[in-house]
Amino acid sequence: MESLKIAIFCWESLYAERVGGLASAATHLAETLAKQHEVHYFTRGQMQDQTISEVHYHYCKPHGNNIVEYCDSMSHGMVENFQTFDKDQKFDYLHFNDWHAVQALHVLQNRNTILTYHSTEFGRNGNKYGDWWEYREISGKEWYGGLIAKRVTAVSATLRNEVMHLYNVPDWKCDVVPNGIVPRQFRAEIDAGEVKQAYGIHPFAPLILFIGRLVYQKGPDLLIEAMKTVCRDHRDAKLIVAGEGDMRQFLMERARDLPANFVGYIPDSEYIRLLNACDLVVIPSRNEPFGLVLLEAWSAEKGVVASNVGGLSENIDTFVDGVKVEPEAGSLAWGINTIMDEPLQAIALGKKGRKKVERVFMWGPIGRKITETYARVVA
Amino acid sequence: MPALSIGFEVHQPYRLNRLFAPDPKVKKKDIANLYFDEINRELLLRIAEKCYIPATMMILDMLDEGFSCAFSLSGTLIEQLEKWSPDALSLFGQVARHRNAEILAQTYYHSIASCFNDKTEFVEQVRMHTSLMHDLFRVDPDIFENTEFTFNNDIAGCVRDMGFCGIFTEGVDRILDWRSPNYLYTCKDIPVFLRNIPLSDDIAFRFTNRSWDKYPLTADTWARWVAQSPGDVVNVFLDYESFGEHLWPETGIFEFMRHLPGELAAQNVSTVLPSVVLEDYSPVGTIDVQETISWADIEKDTSAWMGNDKQRTAFHALEAARVYAKDKKVWRYLQTSDHFYYMASKYGSCGEVHSYFCYLAGDEAFGTYMRILADYEERSLRSTKNRKAAKTLRTLSPETAFHFNSPSGSIGHTAYSLDQFCELVTIVPGDSFQYHLERGDFTCWIQEILGDTELAESIRNCMERQELTDLVCERRQQLWNHLK
Repeated sequence: MESLKIAIFCWESLYAERVGGLASAATHLAETLAKQHEVHYFTRGQMQDQTISEVHYHYCKPHGNNIVEYCDSMSHGMVENFQTFDKDQKFDYLHFNDWHAVQALHVLQNRNTILTYHSTEFGRNGNKYGDWWEYREISGKEWYGGLIAKRVTAVSATLRNEVMHLYNVPDWKCDVVPNGIVPRQFRAEIDAGEVKQAYGIHPFAPLILFIGRLVYQKGPDLLIEAMKTVCRDHRDAKLIVAGEGDMRQFLMERARDLPANFVGYIPDSEYIRLLNACDLVVIPSRNEPFGLVLLEAWSAEKGVVASNVGGLSENIDTFVDGVKVEPEAGSLAWGINTIMDEPLQAIALGKKGRKKVERVFMWGPIGRKITETYARVVA
Repeated sequence: MPALSIGFEVHQPYRLNRLFAPDPKVKKKDIANLYFDEINRELLLRIAEKCYIPATMMILDMLDEGFSCAFSLSGTLIEQLEKWSPDALSLFGQVARHRNAEILAQTYYHSIASCFNDKTEFVEQVRMHTSLMHDLFRVDPDIFENTEFTFNNDIAGCVRDMGFCGIFTEGVDRILDWRSPNYLYTCKDIPVFLRNIPLSDDIAFRFTNRSWDKYPLTADTWARWVAQSPGDVVNVFLDYESFGEHLWPETGIFEFMRHLPGELAAQNVSTVLPSVVLEDYSPVGTIDVQETISWADIEKDTSAWMGNDKQRTAFHALEAARVYAKDKKVWRYLQTSDHFYYMASKYGSCGEVHSYFCYLAGDEAFGTYMRILADYEERSLRSTKNRKAAKTLRTLSPETAFHFNSPSGSIGHTAYSLDQFCELVTIVPGDSFQYHLERGDFTCWIQEILGDTELAESIRNCMERQELTDLVCERRQQLWNHLK
């Protein structure tokens, strides 16, 4: 395969400014592509340009009074950096991530451009339209990016439908390329009993884990409601809720009589401990464009009960590698009980999930999918 | 009407000493007593009494009456029989020289060397086995049976280049697709015998299963199933220990075998030797095996030996130990597949099969293995090309390995060598890295355990993860260059 020269534009990266999951997704993709191609990564950061794992990082220092101005300033900085490296040998493909760098996409629109949607403003707003100026500005950029980019990818078929519906992106232009994961980061040999005891839980008590922002979209309230039923059938069941959010006070009120522990925000290492110590991971989201937690739980070989929505719905085969339920308390309780009745079955589901991760969600195959999309730009 | 080709794999490993602790006072010549468990003798005597002697006497009678079958005996088994049960060995000798029996080749140590990137060790061990068969029984095997039927295109090519005329492997559905295992195929221009899984498992696993609707299985039923199978030749391959050991005499397995030749004859099924199959039948197609397959568990891949992180850690440590292996004998004993089998963590019916075969639990097996491998490398330091580099790159025991922690406890990642440290330091969570960095653990471990002052000094003032990773990986590469 010929070696390509690829430019990636993303407002965050693992080794400089890091905000959320986008940093790890874009950085891992860049590192995967760099094994065969020349990859330049244009992002922001307060440091000198550097090369890590064959990826060349070029940083700019944007400024602005609000997020939109800030991103425009960043886009111009990126383009400036881009021009310096575009002189002798021209870049073959320019890959943009989310709306932040759409201004740069605008300047470079005559090149071979690809735009990846990781989510939409509509989805981030809880599947509701907004009427304030940032909402309009950002969704405007999302629409414009989809219009001028030569090709578009979305991380799940649900998100693909969403951008096609919201922004009129034509069907032929849009591919689905899921996120990948490095499963080794999440699977660890841990004495589950010891971790449970650190939280005051009996070593043999079944532990349910919820991780995510405590916001309406992620459905923690559904899980709390469901726990009321679950505790009737499984008196020893315990719940740990990890993450912060507006709903925390409300949820804690609701869970006053339940064996639920709200541990708030936890560092990555603690997440790995809990993830490997728990018996079941529940993802009760009302909307989920992709659902990275699912891949993380599978990497740790954990059984999963998840809502039948978005990326979760696409990726889980129910009773093969997880259990899908409706985003509603009764259904959720049924799913949790079903898994907890058969602990060995839960382990088997987790192992199947891990197999699926290794088959479908490793960065290698996903890098190949992306290069296929690149090839379609010129076809 | 197909012919029936029956083969037996006969093997015993040298199980490792569960209570092993490093003891510098033990001399090199006595090292075997330190590394290997006393249970080996006990188990061998039990199995010889329950299986090898009675089953082989029965088989010899059957051979005299015209029944034919193939045997594959591992070198480690022969060594143990020579030491503790010469009677059983002489019976196997009679079988080997019998005109109705055929001896197959395998690796001397029943090892997983065929999975190494570099195949020279594998070739060497096959040569050792063929010369053992020649010296002991005066037979020269033409057909190869790899450890637990491990097989892929590369192994097929390698075995062909060694001059064998055929090779056995599992008739895995996903390789065959719609085709039947009851024919001869080729892979990389070498004829391949494919084991018929259902008919083999009827005897090996389902024979005593009371909830099986065909229980109890009788010789006439089974012979009828063979006769009704389509194809040229049905290949059945079994663990020899099935007779009398896995399946006790009380189950009726010996009666089943004794009646089998008669029942087969009644159905007009003849038993044939693999080499005869090669003469009588020609291959009907080719198979292409990219992934590595085997006869283990239901996955039929290498997951029984390399399925979890611990097994992979041990496997890579073993492969890397090549440069330390001046005394290759111990290194080769450590390659026996059984050591890895004991480390498996499987659930369900495969897990039950694993635990039946294991004399110790998975975690314990891994700890013992790493302790012994670490001790072996430590003892070999003096004979390596560059002692300092060898010390820094050696495999570590669980006691000296680097266990990544967070302020609240273990996060479950452990580096058993500098190589693994390089890999893990990039994937552990940032806060765990920071925790160790602030405590100075990295410098301390590299200085005290690995004994690399130069590297310890160079990372002492490192504050950035990337910088530290680069320094350590660069140094690791440099040290390997010194050693090779």
